[in-house]
Amino acid sequence: MTVTSYFLPRSLPEALDLMEQHGPALLVMAGGTIAMPLINEGLSLPDAVMGLRRAGLDGIERTDDTLRIGATATLTQLLDQADVPILREAARNTASWSIRNMATVGGNLFTPPPGGDVAVALLALDASVTLACATGERVIPLVDFSTGFLTNQLAADELLVEIQVPITSEPTAYIKFGRKHANTPAVVTVAVRLEWNEERVADARIALGAVAPHPIRARQAERLLVGTSLDRGAIAGAAAAAAQECEPFTDGIATDWYRRRMAGLIVSRALEQLAQGAAEAGR
Amino acid sequence: MASTIVTFELGDREVEVMVKPMTTLQSVLRNQLGQTAVKEGCRQGGCGSCTVLVDGEPMLSCLLPVEDVAGQRITTLESITPTEGLHPIQQAFLDNYAFQCGYCTPGMVMISKALLDHDPVPSADDIGQALTGNICRCTGYRPIVRAIQVAGDAMRDSVGEQAR
Repeated sequence: MTVTSYFLPRSLPEALDLMEQHGPALLVMAGGTIAMPLINEGLSLPDAVMGLRRAGLDGIERTDDTLRIGATATLTQLLDQADVPILREAARNTASWSIRNMATVGGNLFTPPPGGDVAVALLALDASVTLACATGERVIPLVDFSTGFLTNQLAADELLVEIQVPITSEPTAYIKFGRKHANTPAVVTVAVRLEWNEERVADARIALGAVAPHPIRARQAERLLVGTSLDRGAIAGAAAAAAQECEPFTDGIATDWYRRRMAGLIVSRALEQLAQGAAEAGR
Repeated sequence: MASTIVTFELGDREVEVMVKPMTTLQSVLRNQLGQTAVKEGCRQGGCGSCTVLVDGEPMLSCLLPVEDVAGQRITTLESITPTEGLHPIQQAFLDNYAFQCGYCTPGMVMISKALLDHDPVPSADDIGQALTGNICRCTGYRPIVRAIQVAGDAMRDSVGEQAR
């Protein structure tokens, strides 16, 4: 059984037309770093595939205070984005050079855990995503996009076409913890963004990857931080809450027990980094 | 869908192949164009042995439908091997014992070429970063890192000589 049709649309309207014609049977592929291994191995046997490499969705532009990332912009393209340091950090720590040249930012949002490291950074940044179909488009917060393991809000005829990231100067931290230094699946990935009001934390975003069916926000931990000065007690409390509220799994990389332990530890390390940064900034 | 014709540049020549939908670049290079230096390791994007350059940037040919690279320039180990003698990177790998079984070598040489094209004087750390997607089970990498440094020196020297 081999693929009988491979489409390479040259524009977004052409891509959306194909989706309307073929319905959910059409496999949509961007960088190919997730779909091609499955096809090569015979684990995925699609009849019709649409590749997005020529669809013109790979631009990255800054408009006012928003970074607009085309869905098929590569992770290598993210390395050039000085405006959003943790996105660069996330891209730098994902896979290898050749894979980063192929893998896309949009595709990362469909990558099953323990993948999806860029999605974790995007969650902490309060990114939103544009979903388009032949009759129009809608923008939803990224935090509402994933609904479970490999499931999401996309309707059958919709395509994720752009990711919007608000550009802020608030302090951020990103730590990917894996079994090797580089090119490794995550045990846990943590991205944090804080808003300060004088010496107190006014708002917090803590995103966790590889410890749930999809990247998640640790909302209990976030709430515990608000109003604190990010002292040791607050950090310990938030780390414990984050470890509690994740839903880790066991795979060839780590057990669920280890993932939970490390989720707490890495959250506390990320928060310590931010406390250190705040101390240096004179808070 | 019937087979289609895809044209792209291979090294310095234009090639035209007839392929079934979604045939990988790896398969086309090896089976239709005789570029058997493009190794078939894992076909999962995990080993780097099929690394080729697409418009100068390293990519994995096992994960690329050949239709995706229509009109682009593909560089393989065969493309950079001179008719006589060896490319400076190949020579440095040979001189520095940078392989034993040799299966990873074509991919290693291609990622090294991409690195040295981007940065003629990479640090050991830069080299380590560049090699993270290319697995070698024989050497322990140190001879490979040394070979890349030696090759970088040799390529700079030869550029210097041409300038004189």
